[in-house]
Amino acid sequence: MTAVPPPAPGEPPPPQRGLTREEHGRDVSAAQAEAEAETSTGMKMLKSMSLRFVLSQAEGYPVVIKQFLQFCLILIYPAWVFGILAMAAIYYAILLPGYYVLLAVGWVVFWPLRMQQKKKNPEEYEEYRKKYWRR
Amino acid sequence: MQAIVATDKPIDKVSVATLEWGYTNFYRYRWAGRADAAAAAGNDSWLMMDQVGTDAGSEKDTEDWVAVTKVELPIGTSEFTGGSSSFTVPSWAPGSSDALARWSARVTIERGGRDIDARADFTVVIGTDDLQVTDAPPLRTGGDGDTELDIVVPSLVFRAGETVSGSVVLTPRKDMSDAELGIYWCWNRSSHPLVRTPAAGGGGKSGQTIKLGKGIPLRDGTPITVPFAVPLPGDAPPTGEAVHSSLTWFLEASMMYSKWTQGIEKVRRQIVVVNAP
Repeated sequence: MTAVPPPAPGEPPPPQRGLTREEHGRDVSAAQAEAEAETSTGMKMLKSMSLRFVLSQAEGYPVVIKQFLQFCLILIYPAWVFGILAMAAIYYAILLPGYYVLLAVGWVVFWPLRMQQKKKNPEEYEEYRKKYWRR
Repeated sequence: MQAIVATDKPIDKVSVATLEWGYTNFYRYRWAGRADAAAAAGNDSWLMMDQVGTDAGSEKDTEDWVAVTKVELPIGTSEFTGGSSSFTVPSWAPGSSDALARWSARVTIERGGRDIDARADFTVVIGTDDLQVTDAPPLRTGGDGDTELDIVVPSLVFRAGETVSGSVVLTPRKDMSDAELGIYWCWNRSSHPLVRTPAAGGGGKSGQTIKLGKGIPLRDGTPITVPFAVPLPGDAPPTGEAVHSSLTWFLEASMMYSKWTQGIEKVRRQIVVVNAP
């Protein structure tokens, strides 16, 4: 519902209004937006490891507080890099292989079910195959 | 509206004297950092609730002056002795309230020496005839919609202090357990500053729930109408849209099924509140 007053002639136009949080979209720094735009997890991690990304986390704070926060961020920067490297190690050593292992196990476990589905509903099966299986 | 600026004695060394008509707009904004920064991730999680270093306190209330008309007051030979100006409140003006806007005439005198800033406040009241209202459908704010709630009101515009009489129509989509129904008024302020980062929410207030009935049977195909009367507060801030924030009024009906697994249903209907006596 909108409450629109009737326009009156010869009056100043209403001043421009601003945007709400929802209308603005995501509120992030340029460096973070770049990192988030990457599609691969590896590139995302690499970009968020940069000093520029870490320093940009203090963006939007008032002057002095921002510089103090950036000083603190520089102090913790080695820990930040180590943290991301640890995350990358876990991701590439456990999570990613784990995903494929689970996929393979599931493939074998659900083999009979899939074959039954193929026999009973061949059209649906073919449709599903086209939609979800990557070549 | 007429403003007269008077001085006890002439003010000297004046370079510019301006009189501004406008309002002080109240709103909330975010002062501390980017809302979606990676460093702030997890702040909203259940685990981090109330903890030091999280997002609590990152938003605060503030106010900004919005000038509608600016008038240069005549100054003689760099000496200001007084002046006057008249102003017609525009039709789109947001009504005066502590939540949205405080209208005033403001004089600023720039001079060699201490500048002078003075203001006089006035109240803008919104009347029923000042608005053209278009209706919006009621909005479901909670529940699964197994029972459709409709809030029927005789008109869309109400005066502060008036009692809103209407009815809630309950239309069950299937057999449900008995219901307990309540209704209350609420207003929300949304924050949309021009320059600053808006706060996620702008604040608001809601009235006490008025209980309308208990054990209301909800059977498929039998809609039930429950009448209600909700008194609006006498000092209700009027509906309005300003530059940095706007204020919206609702009636919200809240229904609870007696079987707790069926949950609740909540529907809000937008109304317009004016403050002209």
